[in-house]
Amino acid sequence: MDEWKPNPAVKPHKKRSWYLAWKYKLMNQRALRKLCQTGAVLFLLVTVIVNIKLILDTRRAAYEEEEESAQDYDDEMLNVEVPRHPVNNKKVLDVEVYSSRSKVYVAVDGTTVLEDEAREQGRGIHVIVLNQATGHVMAKRVFDTYSPHEDEAMVLFLNMVARGRILIFTIKDEGSFHLKETAKNVLKSLGSQVAPFLSWRDMWTFVGKKGGEVYGEKHAKSPALSTWGDPVLLKTEVHLTSVEDAECHWPDTELNRRRKRFCSKVEGYGSVCSCKDPTPIEFNPDPLKDNKVFDVPVAVIAGNRPNYLYRMLRSLLSAQGVNPQMITVFIDGYYEEPMDVVELFGLSGIQHTPISIKNARVSQHYKASLTATFNLFPDAKFAVVLEEDLDISVDFFSFLSQSIHLLEEDESLYCISAWNDQGYEHTAEDPSLLYRVETMPGLGWVLRKTLYKDELEPKWPTPEKLWDWDMWMRMPEQRKGRECIIPDISRSYHFGIVGLNMNGYFHEAYFKKHKFNTVPNVQLKNVESLRKDNYETEIHRLLGEAEVLDHSKNPCEDSFVPDTEGRVYVMFIRMEQEADFTTWTQLAKCLHIWDLDVRGNHKGLWRLFRKKNHFLVVGVPASPYSFKKPSSVTPIYMEPPAKEEGAVAVPAVAAAEQT
Amino acid sequence: MQKINRNVVLALLSLTSLVFLLFQLCYYKFYLSQKVREGARWPAPSCVSLRGAMVFLSSVKQHVVRKFLGLISSHNIPVYLIDPLILGLIDKDIEQIRSSPDGPSPECKYFCAPRDFTTFALLDKTWKHEVGFFRTAEKMGFQWLKIINKDPRLDGMDDLSGMEIPLHYIFKLASHAIHLVVFYERSGNFLWHGPLRLKQHMDRKFVPFRKLHFGRYPGAYEKPELLLVSIDDLKVQIPKNPSSFLEEMSHSRFLECRYREARAFFQLYPDDASLDAVEFRKKAKSLLHLAALTLNNLGVKFWLSSGTCLGWYRQCNVIPHSKDVDLGIFIRDYKADIIPAFQNVGLPLKHKFGKVEDSLELSFQGEDDVKLDIFFFYEEDDHVWNGGTQAKSGKKFKYLFPKFTLCWTEFVELKVHVPCETLQYVEANYGPEWKVPVTTWDWKSSPFNVQDNGVWPIDEWDNVIQIY
Repeated sequence: MDEWKPNPAVKPHKKRSWYLAWKYKLMNQRALRKLCQTGAVLFLLVTVIVNIKLILDTRRAAYEEEEESAQDYDDEMLNVEVPRHPVNNKKVLDVEVYSSRSKVYVAVDGTTVLEDEAREQGRGIHVIVLNQATGHVMAKRVFDTYSPHEDEAMVLFLNMVARGRILIFTIKDEGSFHLKETAKNVLKSLGSQVAPFLSWRDMWTFVGKKGGEVYGEKHAKSPALSTWGDPVLLKTEVHLTSVEDAECHWPDTELNRRRKRFCSKVEGYGSVCSCKDPTPIEFNPDPLKDNKVFDVPVAVIAGNRPNYLYRMLRSLLSAQGVNPQMITVFIDGYYEEPMDVVELFGLSGIQHTPISIKNARVSQHYKASLTATFNLFPDAKFAVVLEEDLDISVDFFSFLSQSIHLLEEDESLYCISAWNDQGYEHTAEDPSLLYRVETMPGLGWVLRKTLYKDELEPKWPTPEKLWDWDMWMRMPEQRKGRECIIPDISRSYHFGIVGLNMNGYFHEAYFKKHKFNTVPNVQLKNVESLRKDNYETEIHRLLGEAEVLDHSKNPCEDSFVPDTEGRVYVMFIRMEQEADFTTWTQLAKCLHIWDLDVRGNHKGLWRLFRKKNHFLVVGVPASPYSFKKPSSVTPIYMEPPAKEEGAVAVPAVAAAEQT
Repeated sequence: MQKINRNVVLALLSLTSLVFLLFQLCYYKFYLSQKVREGARWPAPSCVSLRGAMVFLSSVKQHVVRKFLGLISSHNIPVYLIDPLILGLIDKDIEQIRSSPDGPSPECKYFCAPRDFTTFALLDKTWKHEVGFFRTAEKMGFQWLKIINKDPRLDGMDDLSGMEIPLHYIFKLASHAIHLVVFYERSGNFLWHGPLRLKQHMDRKFVPFRKLHFGRYPGAYEKPELLLVSIDDLKVQIPKNPSSFLEEMSHSRFLECRYREARAFFQLYPDDASLDAVEFRKKAKSLLHLAALTLNNLGVKFWLSSGTCLGWYRQCNVIPHSKDVDLGIFIRDYKADIIPAFQNVGLPLKHKFGKVEDSLELSFQGEDDVKLDIFFFYEEDDHVWNGGTQAKSGKKFKYLFPKFTLCWTEFVELKVHVPCETLQYVEANYGPEWKVPVTTWDWKSSPFNVQDNGVWPIDEWDNVIQIY
């Protein structure tokens, strides 16, 4: 605009004659003419100056604007996207696989994709799945086939891997003890010559394409029971195929785009990535009428067990009344695969830099997750806390919706939990029944914000304290005599076999036979009776109605309870003071329920089912309900075995409770 | 001939100069007031044709707004209008609009005022982040830009990295843009919107970003009550009380706590996790909540001062050894109701020093020895100050601060004011060594900015030194 020039074409002609007349008139008035000229010059100067100033002003304003918009609105952070995997156009991959007692590694084209030399970890068969087109690692698993049922998990996994993928196997330490026939056959069908004959402490490596050629196999036999086979190193080449061959052609929808992204990255999720008939990733369960927990945030606490997380989220998203927008998955560590799972389901996920080690790490992760949940949902009065190794019952939210008002109104409540520690297949019966218990079961529970913000968060165990967060929460200093509400039949199922305090034996003994509700829309009965005072009335009513069992019989025997249905029975055990659980522990042991510490008690009373009869156990004389004991009855006393048998896998849970 | 030429030249020059000056004035006015950048490039010889262009622009604008509202209503996205210029116009006729919510307006009065963009707000939790929405927008011809950034609600947390959240959307169609500001709920029961910051690869010329009304700073707002109105033949939600929204907007700037620095501080000086500290923090928090509630009910503007402010700035928490809660209030905001209001909520007056005209300071007794100190600040030309009084000697002290403005922040689940120029404020009070924790503190000598200010005359003592 500053280059604007007067256009000579617009010079007015009339002006000239007018000017001549004017000039003539003023010819002789020199003074006046001079004045006019000076005036014109001055005017000219002024306009020029004003013009220049205006031009400068406008320019400056425009310039500043550019400057400022550049400065104010620039993000200081440089977000450089780093590609997750280096792209290479090679058609052949060099694969190196090593198997030995204390170390395994797998290198693809010189890049180590697996290296495990940690002591007392990573035992079993390591499996790696590579994309046949790109050579990217799609799955990395270890199956501790030294322990039971891990081979089943491996078979499940291998069956889920899409045809054409490249599979790499290597054994660390021991991988054959619980490697059953089925699993061996699956390995054989993949082309392994050695798998059917794998035995104690053999070393083994194998590379093959699912449903295709074998690229190499090496094996070293263990010479004796006490020693391991020699380390084996397999070096081989794998030929890559084209990308088109490795992908499915699903219709282009938002869901399928998520699916595609997921399936190109990871393996081992079965029919999600099936080309022909992929399993849905959106579930749209029926909404709940009058859902009181629709706006309650759900925190899913996860580690690096993506296949668990996948199973868990499937069941969670299938539960009636679920609100996916309220779900946040908190991943302990910067693991990609759990995040991929979260993104597959279109949920939001948050990663947490691990702090501290072992139990303290879990505990810090819990704290961060809970704090973040209440930050993200500042309006929430509660949060539902779930873990990645839980199945969620179809009526989980219905159960909470019917009971959550108690947590809001009854100050004497600590939590609502979906888990009944004593609710096994043979001890739980009534999906509509709720209990009050003095212990905090966890495994799917509701936390009140005020409890967290005012009490727990400020004094949460610091990272250097190697405490279990749940043990800490159960301590009297925290619980302060408050109770939790639990259902008779659990609304969650703990399927995790691998975990910090978990292994196959332990899971089989204590979790496998747990009862899990599968009935939708269960109408809970008499929820109001769970309030503090009402519950006492209810217990008194129950005890009044209960028939006293024959105390001369052995309570461990099935015949202790008559072959009836729907009756209420009571038995009395010896319990000298509040903390005397000697007889209870023995009883729990022989009833095959949770006996590692005391769970499920309410003022020295336990409620469970035996042979479809409600079965009450009262500890005499510590329990206030002792007065119900007829004077003729002597409370049963069961002596603990003289010496604790060296159980193989008693986890830290039991030990920690002693503190 | 020479003379003639000179005169002719002079006259011609004057004339062209005059024309050019007029043009410049027109253009300048147009540029600065209407802020239409494109206008500058038009070879428009007079203001008249510029106006014509603007009329054309405004019809484009109404068309774009209409299309956008259609788009969002078809996807069930509850946006509301927060454009300050339009709300300003609406506010003038608010009574009329309220009384006839469905009445057709005679002309395009609000949306047609010439401007480059219209601003709407969206509450994050009220919509699902549907990809389909953006696809429809594209089909309708909108170009759109999404500004994402870190989630501040996770910023205070050790080492959590969530997904980035959308803070702003800009939808552009023809020459008009829609600026959609995403509001998030924060602890402390308020709404927050983020700053608008462009990442490296973004199109800096997408819209004139600097002219946007929202995004220069993050902002904090109360949750607004909404009203569905029909203006210019368009149904749109607006804040129920536009004038108070505009008032709120004028000082909505939000400061995030310096979480990273706070973490660094705790690395140097580990936090006191003792039971006493936990207890004190709990009490201080509830006292602050109570004080905020009381003062907000009275409509008295206050800010975190002294130790409480330092705690926020340095460690994003209450300093456990500070033993009291300190607030500042400008003396012009003083109300006589303050003392009875605090007494009504169970905080009796502990002492009152000074008088409204000079060095006023109130102290209330909270639960278990936790004290609430309220300092009144007096404004001078180039500084502000508050006073202190020593009870036994009647000595007066004066604490000087540089002038400051107030910003919102989030502190212990509360939306409160702090001085925007916090560093200067804290440095004035605690000196350059404010980063080092001090456990022994004498209010008469420790502060960096304390000055002796004479002695109260004996005959005033009864009034200016009241201890209960």
